[in-house]
Amino acid sequence: MLAALGGTATVGLAGCSALLSDDEEDDDDSTGDYETSEHADKAQAAWERIIENPGPDAEDTRTQAYVEIEEAVRDDMVLLPTHHGKGEFFWYDYVDMPKVGALGRHHVQHNRTEVDGDTELNLINATFDELDPIMSTDTASGEVIAQIYETLTTYPAGVAEIENNLLDSFETSEDGLTWTLTLKDGVQFHDGRDLTADDVVYSFRRLAESEYSERVNFITESTGGLGIEHETDDEGGIVPDSLGIEVIDDLTLEVTLREPNPAALDVLSYDGFAIVPEGLVGDIEGYDGEVTHDEFRTEMANGTGPFEYDQFSPGESMRVVRNDNYHGTVASVESLHWEIIEEPEAKFTYSMEQNADFFEIPTNQYDPELIDAETDDRGRESGTYGPVENDETLNYLGVPELSTFYFGFNVSHVPKPVREAVAYVTNHEEFIEDVLLNRGFPAFSFTPPAMWPTGQDGYEGWVDEWPYSPNETDREGARSVLEDAGFTEDDPFEMEITVYETSPAFQDMAEQVREKLSGLGVNVTSQSTQFSTLIDRGEDGDLEMFSLGWIWSWPDVAYGHFGFEPKNTDTSKMPGEANGYYLDWQENLDEEA
Amino acid sequence: MSRWRYFFKRLLLSVPVLFMVMTFIFILLRMGPVDPVAARLGPEASGAEAERMRERLGLNDPLWEQYLDFVTNFLTFDLGQSWVIYGDMEVTRIITFAGPPTLWLGFWAVLLPLFIGIPLGFYAGLNPNSGGDYLASVGGILWQAMPNFWLSIILLAVLRQTKGGGWFGFDWYTFGPDITGLSITGTPDLAFLSISSIDVAGAISIPLLTGVDWGALAVDIKLILPPAIVLGSASMAAELRIGRTAILETINSNYVETAKAKGLKDRAIVWKHVFRNALIPLVPVITNEAFLLMGGSVIVESIFNINGLGRIFFLATVQGDLPLAGALLFVFTLLIIFLNIFQDLLYTIIDPRVGYER
Repeated sequence: MLAALGGTATVGLAGCSALLSDDEEDDDDSTGDYETSEHADKAQAAWERIIENPGPDAEDTRTQAYVEIEEAVRDDMVLLPTHHGKGEFFWYDYVDMPKVGALGRHHVQHNRTEVDGDTELNLINATFDELDPIMSTDTASGEVIAQIYETLTTYPAGVAEIENNLLDSFETSEDGLTWTLTLKDGVQFHDGRDLTADDVVYSFRRLAESEYSERVNFITESTGGLGIEHETDDEGGIVPDSLGIEVIDDLTLEVTLREPNPAALDVLSYDGFAIVPEGLVGDIEGYDGEVTHDEFRTEMANGTGPFEYDQFSPGESMRVVRNDNYHGTVASVESLHWEIIEEPEAKFTYSMEQNADFFEIPTNQYDPELIDAETDDRGRESGTYGPVENDETLNYLGVPELSTFYFGFNVSHVPKPVREAVAYVTNHEEFIEDVLLNRGFPAFSFTPPAMWPTGQDGYEGWVDEWPYSPNETDREGARSVLEDAGFTEDDPFEMEITVYETSPAFQDMAEQVREKLSGLGVNVTSQSTQFSTLIDRGEDGDLEMFSLGWIWSWPDVAYGHFGFEPKNTDTSKMPGEANGYYLDWQENLDEEA
Repeated sequence: MSRWRYFFKRLLLSVPVLFMVMTFIFILLRMGPVDPVAARLGPEASGAEAERMRERLGLNDPLWEQYLDFVTNFLTFDLGQSWVIYGDMEVTRIITFAGPPTLWLGFWAVLLPLFIGIPLGFYAGLNPNSGGDYLASVGGILWQAMPNFWLSIILLAVLRQTKGGGWFGFDWYTFGPDITGLSITGTPDLAFLSISSIDVAGAISIPLLTGVDWGALAVDIKLILPPAIVLGSASMAAELRIGRTAILETINSNYVETAKAKGLKDRAIVWKHVFRNALIPLVPVITNEAFLLMGGSVIVESIFNINGLGRIFFLATVQGDLPLAGALLFVFTLLIIFLNIFQDLLYTIIDPRVGYER
């Protein structure tokens, strides 16, 4: 009790001191002291070219612009990528399931999973609290929702190649603005109703209009979203029934976008676009609803997926049973059960008791030596792991995921030579091996190699050209940039690294940066805060060097690069008009916005 | 001042404490550095969305209005809703499913010190410097030295490896009630009581205990024993040591000498005089254990994956679910205030000197 209270109080204090120091800095150290960046204009211009050339024929222009943004980020060192995520999965021999792809296990529908000798597949999940697709923003609920509800398009097993699901075919107009979508015939919801175009309109309207929707921007915004035609009211909300979506017949509908969007089919695979029967919940204008939103959130579900809702005890477990009427491959297992476990030791115990069939292994029990795996053409390592504690040898799969973890810099607080010095002393390989125990892949760009705009060869060339002594601790390189800027051991630059509490790896890495820079002219202090505190301080422009990550919901480079548009990194406009990374990169633009 | 006036004065004093706690929680919630809206939406959401949620959750109202709402809501036990962990779920509903497992754990964790710690301490005190005394005292110190989280992890590791036969063929899963298909972690069912309601005159229904499923009860007890042993162990050791000292002090006091001189039998001295007096220093220790149990349950419930108040409180603080954390803090405060009052009540009953000379 007291310990917990103490924890809360510490966070409170940390936040307060942050606020105080913010005020101080605003007075004496605004921005003019150092040349902070040179390439912001290049990034701004590149981003504008991406926006202005959305059509399918302008792909080369966009590719070039994406690379230019990466170059500007690298040359100004506004953000140092550390690693790309690696998803690791372990399962017992008697389970047979499709190989998970780069987009993660929450895309895996278990209708193709087989369990030898059992009718139930047992899984472990994290705490989640909603089954309403428009509220789902976490992978824990996403994994469950993917079994119950379906979207028009999908990434089978999370492999980054889009496929039609509820969609039968589509056509686009010449200008790329109008999409005619035809739905699959004969799809039924769990309660027996037929899927029609009206259900799609209703589901999309909920995502845009419902007060419970947590990702309205995914349907309304053009970059990082679908960018569907709509009207807004005075307060910025969507005018009811104003979405550019029109029913042609029972199975056909027409969607009008504001700007051509090459990633439209990818965006449609996001959970929030899952189709629910028309009128199920009364949270948008024109519908009374058959069930209350509270019931819809946790006590019932009605989708088109291979499994139906059975039972949900929040915080404990969730169970779904097979849908024998499924339009695709009907599942071989009769039910899926997720035990909700947060603590690593409990997870490990549960899996070693063979209560879970498919699971992850916590770091403290993990031994990279036990892996015996080969890499496939998607960079996935598959093979075996073990023997583990209970003498079983497990199946193993290591997947390079579409995620990037990084140290970002607020450029108005940290001068460029210091940022470069951090990059010089960072040894990516050593970090991956020592701190992450090889559970990650070194990152030299924000965009993961699997979706690098100029392909695999282009990516290799990029890594070869990386200027800051990749995979070595180059203290001399760091010393020389710092000395040129006048930072020496006697007159050092003071910098604070803020990392979030839930990532011990970043805490270790911040500590390494501190040690490697000691005596070179940068005095580092590191501090770990709650994730939400870090976000808050980022939005206040109150961070110096900080750790964060970005996970792609669909493989589109723009859906990561929008955050680099210098004008969009203006923390003084956050969190309202700007939603980029916390860099303040707009400070050195030639013409102020 | 009479004993009972003293007691009621203590009772009244808890009112301002309650208000101070509520104000503290409010300040933490509304003015603290953690923005629950950001915590809930995550970094991908846009500012407009955060603003809409702020409006929906009433965070744009004037502060004094929010404070008044907050206090009246809490006093009428309307504890608000969770924002992050169980989005929009009523805290009172969370307590109805998370409270019982915590009480079940707490119940067994308290039994341990009461029925093992104190008797052992008394035994050690009555037989000072014997082999048994040394064994109990040293064992107690060792127990106390082992932190809960460490003990939990070790216990889990040892127990799970007995599956299918461990050392000397001991298999915890088949020992006693069979839990082969279950896990040693997880929330106990607590469904061993069958309760049915009888309608009286068609209007009022009275719940009636109609049966106990002894098998399920045995399983629930077996599942709760490992975490309860961990949770109760530190208190057990503390009570053992204080019990021993208390007995020694009482035995060597003058009135015991007098009683001996009067020719009273040892047994009568121990049962009638020594025990009652030795209990006095133990009362605050025992009630303080309750606070420790609440704090300890945060760790033990997390590691044993029991979906109780402790684990939920931990998740709420870690994930920035301030309304939930605040409401649980309020519930814990109520419990602590209640326990304090209960402690005063016990004092007033056991110790006639309380409240006389003030």
